[in-house]
Amino acid sequence: MPRRAPSTPLNMVATVLVTCVVAATSLAFTYEVTRDRIVQQELEAERAALEAVVPDAESFQDVSDMVAEAEVDTEDVPVESAHRALDADGATAGWAVRVAPRGYAGPVAMVVGLDRDGTVLGVSIVRMRETPGLGTKIAEQWFIEQFVGWESMDLDAWRDEFDAIAGATKSSVAVREGVSAACAVYLEALMDSGEGGGGS
Amino acid sequence: MRQWLDVFRRGIAVDNPLTILMIGLCATLAVSTKVEGALFMGLAVVFVLSMSSVIISSLRLFIPELVRIPVFIVVIASFVTIVDLTMKAFVPDVYTFLGVWIPLIVVNCMILGRAEAFAYHQPVRLAIADGLGMGSGFTIVIVALAAIRELFGSGEIVFFGTRLLALPGWYQPPGILVLFPGAFIVFGFMAALSKWYNARVSKRVRQTSAGCTIEEAR
Repeated sequence: MPRRAPSTPLNMVATVLVTCVVAATSLAFTYEVTRDRIVQQELEAERAALEAVVPDAESFQDVSDMVAEAEVDTEDVPVESAHRALDADGATAGWAVRVAPRGYAGPVAMVVGLDRDGTVLGVSIVRMRETPGLGTKIAEQWFIEQFVGWESMDLDAWRDEFDAIAGATKSSVAVREGVSAACAVYLEALMDSGEGGGGS
Repeated sequence: MRQWLDVFRRGIAVDNPLTILMIGLCATLAVSTKVEGALFMGLAVVFVLSMSSVIISSLRLFIPELVRIPVFIVVIASFVTIVDLTMKAFVPDVYTFLGVWIPLIVVNCMILGRAEAFAYHQPVRLAIADGLGMGSGFTIVIVALAAIRELFGSGEIVFFGTRLLALPGWYQPPGILVLFPGAFIVFGFMAALSKWYNARVSKRVRQTSAGCTIEEAR
């Protein structure tokens, strides 16, 4: 039976040092190989979420700064970003607002699509930590569809029509608050700039 | 070869890390709500466990005893990060589902436990068998657990967007199955099943080996 290297200070320092250097090198290599793909996947996911909620859009333009300046009161729902959807002629086709209302287990990141008049076109859940099989039902088609057609101008009437999922009230309400927040963003920050900035 | 297969089989049945040794349960109970996620969790564990076992076993004579744990952790953490980055790049949906549980494989006591108990004392050949065996044992149990919880807890099994199996519409899935208590209940039955199976097998083995001795004695 060959003997194991004794635990002298020199041995210990050398072993840990060599292990760490080799580990760091191999990680740097893996990172290099996967970096481009990871960035690309994130962009694709973002773009897919935007396209899902504003189907007619040709391209998107980031207008998050505009929303930040307007300091919209969204009742504690964080607004992560906002995009102007442009059609083929470069005119405003609608808006996509990304919000992250608080669900049952952490934020529910979602993108809400609005047309030029502030009517909800679609909602897409991007990321959530809700209970699988219960809270995750908020991503199902039949639940999401009930938000389509909500008008920013007449929000209170629409909010009364809302049906929550039994057993997942907190998750359901989170989606409702997210949609409401997106409507508030539209009313206070985006509505008036619908025509002006279209070409920029 | 016989010894190799023996070590490999041990990880799946007699020493199954989940149902017998009961290590690495935390992640198991958390991610076994979907077959898709559970399968990738299993594959990640197989990879990390076998690779770190190989490295630790081949370096075992050069690692002084007093610094073995830090060296194990660095080796394990590197492989976990490799898995983490690769999954992020190629299967982003699964990665989102598994979330924090992939980085947490670093501190999963199963990996460190096998490194300490097996790989640090055994030749590379057997360390590979142990890593693959323990990893497969983990994968089989976690996928079975997830299949039961997904099928009876949400009424259907969906695998990469395809519906594999669905229960008839009149079935009202009890929500508790996808929650933690459900995981404990189902897991309890699986552990019992596995004990019962092992007891039967070891009885048979004892009988046959006794039979052999008698025959040889004649």
